[in-house]
Amino acid sequence: MKIKTRSINLSDKILVVFFIFTLIVIFLVKFLTEIDWAYLFILAYILLTVAFIFAYTISRWFSKRLANVVFKIEEMAAGNFSENLKTGTKDEIGQLAHAVNELMSRLNTGIAQDVSKHKELSQAKTDFVALASHQLRTPLSIIKWYIDFVLAGDAGEMNEEQHKYLTEAYESNERLIDLVNALLDVSRIDVGTFSIEPEPTDITERADKALEKFTEEIKEKKLHIERLYDDIPLINLDRRLTKMFFENLISNSVKYTPEGGTVQIVLRKTEKDVLIKISDNGCGIPREQQPNVFTKMFRADNVKRMESVGTGLGLYITKAIIEKSGGRIWFQSPSFDLLLDPKKQSNVPIDKQNQGTTFFITIPLQGMKRKIGTKKLNSIE
Amino acid sequence: MSEGKKTILIVEDETAMREALVEKFKKSDFETFNAPDGEEGLKIALKEKPDILMFDILMPKLDGISATKKIRESSTWGKEVPIIMLTNLSDPDSVSEVASYGVFDFLVKTDWRLEDVVALVKKKLGMV
Repeated sequence: MKIKTRSINLSDKILVVFFIFTLIVIFLVKFLTEIDWAYLFILAYILLTVAFIFAYTISRWFSKRLANVVFKIEEMAAGNFSENLKTGTKDEIGQLAHAVNELMSRLNTGIAQDVSKHKELSQAKTDFVALASHQLRTPLSIIKWYIDFVLAGDAGEMNEEQHKYLTEAYESNERLIDLVNALLDVSRIDVGTFSIEPEPTDITERADKALEKFTEEIKEKKLHIERLYDDIPLINLDRRLTKMFFENLISNSVKYTPEGGTVQIVLRKTEKDVLIKISDNGCGIPREQQPNVFTKMFRADNVKRMESVGTGLGLYITKAIIEKSGGRIWFQSPSFDLLLDPKKQSNVPIDKQNQGTTFFITIPLQGMKRKIGTKKLNSIE
Repeated sequence: MSEGKKTILIVEDETAMREALVEKFKKSDFETFNAPDGEEGLKIALKEKPDILMFDILMPKLDGISATKKIRESSTWGKEVPIIMLTNLSDPDSVSEVASYGVFDFLVKTDWRLEDVVALVKKKLGMV
């Protein structure tokens, strides 16, 4: 459609110029030769008609060729570099077409180089992460075991203070181990080498098993845990991965819900899927950061301000597990806009704050899709 | 071999790690043998016939999986002796290969506390 409008536009301009020019000539002829008006008009009419047809044809021809070039440029802008333009004649439009072809072939080679360079880079990055995390695990376990050795009193008695400091060191090391494990998982996800091995599994058992990991924290923060489970038949699930994504989501809920808050885990059987809903009434996710929730190393600004630890990799890993196994994941968080003008922020009604976050996952009743891979993700089972 | 004490062979190429395990098991009243690579580990295993063996997977000269295979093929003792695999990575391929030699205990080092390792060994030997 665009081509048509443009060609008519150009033809119109040429025609208008031509028409005005002809009128001037007619008046000049009349003025200079004193020819009879009637003859002059007939002559002018014939001339104009011929000229009109001639001009229209020529201008159509030009603008059509020009429109082809424009169309090609638009295609290039949209990322299509496939076909070359016909250059045809050697006039200006022909030269223009030739120049566009030249540009296109240069862009083509440039893009091909960029793509292969990008692939190389991302492969190198992934290799590095895999290697680094593997190499890091040896010293990390050595640190772990020696602290453990001393903490157990195997290297002599310790006083309370020493025990306390060493426990801190032990816990930091555990965090480092978690981070390295998560990084390794991410590299396996990015390269696509992780496997999904579904077997008949009781999903409610998996949810409870994941919940067990947080017993202490839940007790400490006096959180209410609501478990609303439908009667769900055995489904083909990868047991490790299922526990892992439950752990990731419950961990977030427990971490970001204030003392006395509520964490709800709902497992519902729908017609085709199992719907998993994990909600809390924690600090929520700032609206302008919601689009980044599933990206690597994401940590929302409001939780960064809280004293809490996190790798920012859990949701990225969770999303990869769910989507690679044929499920869906999304969330709702009707939280306030964090980065707004602070004055405006006070306008947000209190009940709109701390409304928490709800994560939804669906897994088809026929189970997770099997995925052949050489590596497992590191769940802590 | 002193009377009554259970014996364990620890084969691990990382010195610090090997020593941590050896010391911990000594403290837990085990008689320990250790080796820095699979070849020497195999030699000691066949000579001393310990009650339980612990092999790292990635090691110089002879890796833990090949050593396991040779031990299983060696004698009646070798067929029966419990073997625990130490690893840094969960790798399903090696898991299934070693499982075919009757080894089902894979310790991902970073996931295990020392006392839990000892507890597992004691359980394997029927000491608890």
